[in-house]
Amino acid sequence: MKLSRVLNRQHIDFMFKKHWLVQGKRVPIDTGAENVLREKGIPVEDALEFIKEKPGPRERVNIVGPYEPQLPLDETHPDYKTRPCLTLTNKDVLLEGIAQAQVLTKTIIAENKLPNKIEELAEITIPKAVHEGVKKAILSSNVFDCEQEKLPKIKDPVRPAYNFPRILGITDRRRNQIITNKLLQLIERCSDFELTQTRYTLNDVQCKTVFDKDDDLIQFQDVSNILVTSNIPLKHDMNEKDIPFVEIPDLYPVKHTVTLPPEHFYDEKSIYPIQLNVSRKHPHTTWLHFNRTEVNNIYETPVTDSQIYGRALTHAFTVASAYAKELHGEEVQDLPEPIYVNCIQTDGQKYHFGVFELNTLNVDGVEGTKNVWYCKNDVKLYDRSCYFNGMPVLENYNPKIYGYINAFYNC
Amino acid sequence: MHLSKLNRNIPKFQLWTRRYSHAVLPDENEYTDTPVYPPILDMSLQGRKLRERQSVHEKIKKLNTVEEKQIALNMPRYYGWKCVIFNENRVPYNALPLVQCYTRTHFKPVNSLPDAYSDTNPIAEQVVKETKSIIEDIIAIESESVRYIHNNSPEKSEEQIKEEHITKNIVRQINRVICNKLADKLPHILSAQIDYEPRHEAFWFVGGIDVPHNVIQWRKQYKWLHDRLEEPIDRPVQFIGTPHLAVRSQLPLKPIVPYEEATNPDFKVPKFTYIPESVGYCTEFRHGTNIPGFWPGDNDEFGLLSYHGRDHILSRRESYGQEDNIDALHSQALKASFGWLLAQANYQGFTTYNDITYPLVTQTVITNGKAWSFYVYQMNTITMHNEQMDGNPKHNICFGTTPLQLYDTIENGQVKGLNEDVLKMLVQFYLNAPEEREHDMKPYLGKDEQLIADIEDDNKRCWLESRYKHLVSNRPKHNLMPETYLWERIYKIQHKTRFFEAKRRFFERNINPYKRRLNEHLPPYIPKVLREYPRSKKNFERTYYPDV
Repeated sequence: MKLSRVLNRQHIDFMFKKHWLVQGKRVPIDTGAENVLREKGIPVEDALEFIKEKPGPRERVNIVGPYEPQLPLDETHPDYKTRPCLTLTNKDVLLEGIAQAQVLTKTIIAENKLPNKIEELAEITIPKAVHEGVKKAILSSNVFDCEQEKLPKIKDPVRPAYNFPRILGITDRRRNQIITNKLLQLIERCSDFELTQTRYTLNDVQCKTVFDKDDDLIQFQDVSNILVTSNIPLKHDMNEKDIPFVEIPDLYPVKHTVTLPPEHFYDEKSIYPIQLNVSRKHPHTTWLHFNRTEVNNIYETPVTDSQIYGRALTHAFTVASAYAKELHGEEVQDLPEPIYVNCIQTDGQKYHFGVFELNTLNVDGVEGTKNVWYCKNDVKLYDRSCYFNGMPVLENYNPKIYGYINAFYNC
Repeated sequence: MHLSKLNRNIPKFQLWTRRYSHAVLPDENEYTDTPVYPPILDMSLQGRKLRERQSVHEKIKKLNTVEEKQIALNMPRYYGWKCVIFNENRVPYNALPLVQCYTRTHFKPVNSLPDAYSDTNPIAEQVVKETKSIIEDIIAIESESVRYIHNNSPEKSEEQIKEEHITKNIVRQINRVICNKLADKLPHILSAQIDYEPRHEAFWFVGGIDVPHNVIQWRKQYKWLHDRLEEPIDRPVQFIGTPHLAVRSQLPLKPIVPYEEATNPDFKVPKFTYIPESVGYCTEFRHGTNIPGFWPGDNDEFGLLSYHGRDHILSRRESYGQEDNIDALHSQALKASFGWLLAQANYQGFTTYNDITYPLVTQTVITNGKAWSFYVYQMNTITMHNEQMDGNPKHNICFGTTPLQLYDTIENGQVKGLNEDVLKMLVQFYLNAPEEREHDMKPYLGKDEQLIADIEDDNKRCWLESRYKHLVSNRPKHNLMPETYLWERIYKIQHKTRFFEAKRRFFERNINPYKRRLNEHLPPYIPKVLREYPRSKKNFERTYYPDV
């Protein structure tokens, strides 16, 4: 086909463009009105003279409304603080993951190592009926729960523009809530009443800690999805001599505050969710949910494993230090006695266990007293649990996990 | 045009004549000693329609699986039933008579639990003594000493949200303590499943209700309906609720009163025939759903106990008065108990058309942390559609208390004046052990196939599974329901000013979109490359809608 045929084709947009050009160059026609007026002695003035002057600024009218209008959140706001506070919430992750978390909290790590007491308790054989209960909990969280909410869009990397039908089902938030609560209920019902009445469980409580590190003000705002507390502080006997610790790494060229957005409206007081007059106030185990749809990097890249591990460490640090500050005051540095907190992070399928030992709240530099994080990451409770071909499926249930969770509760 | 119509009719006649022209073969056993007559059938229009409906009910009864029965209930309506919505958290003024009538429940106000609970008195007292101080602690801590994350919903006032949160947490803690205390003594508590905020939905038909104005107008169009203008109609009812906490187990609770008592005429249920819209209920087009908090297939399918909040009382007008607030709580309990039990009964294979053959029992607690009301509900019947509304002699029974105060005040972190009797009632609910029944629990389900997960045909199983979930999700339709625009109503229906235009809209072609059946749609298309080898003319995939 000749190209001219395409080019010669009538195109309505070309026509409009041309028309616009023609019309834009129009010259006002002289109607002779000016001469007529002048003859009759009526003065004629140029209209452009009048619009030269710009209208003056209008006064703002204060409208009395049903409520006070909100002040803009900027420098003029009375609560604005000039010193920014770098904030990490439970919906964010650190760029460098566990390494950055180590620097921020001045922590050394014992990988794949949990306190001996926990390892011993985890070996206890558990009756078959209890395992059936765990399987029930898994199925009810993944299969039998009736929530039907919109799940995230399905994307095929090969053809990213293709729209798959949107699936309704159980959201990861609900799934994690069900499985963790049911596991805890099961453990408590199988334990002695004398033990369970020394414990207290709270759902969705807020913890916050604010601290200085190398002249930066940093705050961690975290939510404990389940916080188990006890009437006596948690203790672990650790033999630290023969543990190969991972020392605090050097993050250069990255600064340790990278991806912590500055916040100018904050309160410098730490928050521990339970008041001190309650007898069962000591933190024992904190459960942290990893909801993939809610936790994100600020730069939209997918969350990596290392970032997930780092999340557990910062979470445990938040709970422990908020408690320490409630106990010893905001200005406490090296603690007279270490504070231990157990932490279990889960996305329903994978479990990350950790024990945090808080020795100091002075996190400047890398020298001096350090905190310790014992962890055991990436243990799977099951391989697959869903409706497959219209049938409920649970594949490869791993009975060891329940042992660990039980040990964490009972230690 | 007339000729073509005639042509289309001719084969029908031929078929008809051929079928009846077979030679009758002589049969030896044709004669019996006493003459056997076929039953005399009522051949009036109403009689024939009744038989049609009954045959549908019979077909639903014969379906094998729970899910197919649920799809079958929704078969007549593509765009869903126009349901009267029973919302747990919205109770209009003077709600009790309507709720009693719609759930066919006799309500008995009581001050203590029924006699069936008297056996557990001593154990309950013992448990209360041992847990009393812990529960006092819990109430004090949860009311004052803990900082929670609140998810604010725009529909509720701040006051309501606060009460909802405190209630939720107190209920969880009290349930935790009582369960932990009783778990080693009672096996049914150890194996029970505890759900937080499950989804409870139930769907049924209520007959004998006054006819709405638009139905009368519609009936006036047809001559043969003129003498039946006021004939009552079935109203579909949908219950939607979310308890704070529900406990369920594998076995059902024992009946509170014997099943024979269900027909006792002393258990009166007031008749309420007014149109529900006129007393503050709204309607919505949706597919009927029966969901007791889990999908079919879970073994713990009988409810023991459910806790409900009462923050909606705060949003009621002051002019309603205290007495009506208490009635509102009663009606909330009736709705919640009946709704949950009906959904459970549906998972046993019964539907609103096929009545239950044994009673089911549940226990309901309505609380705000301080005021507690206790209800015991026994469901004896679930059929109350038009034919059964007056004919069915059975009633459901509910025993309920007024709100009782668990404690007087909280002073300096200490609970003052804990009412042990209230706590005892609660513990007795937990002590009420479920028992295995001696009769068949699922008489209307298949022997081997009771759920679609039991179906062997892969295609059928997958299709039914996805269809069922799609149906009960009530997600918006891709194509909205046809609508008569206002200009059309004026210029096309009321005044025929556009008679010259081609008649393409549904109201011009005499199509009632509400009467479209669920299966009246094109099944998914099979692209040519995916069709069976070598040559298949099957263009569309097979559907497995139940034949009702």
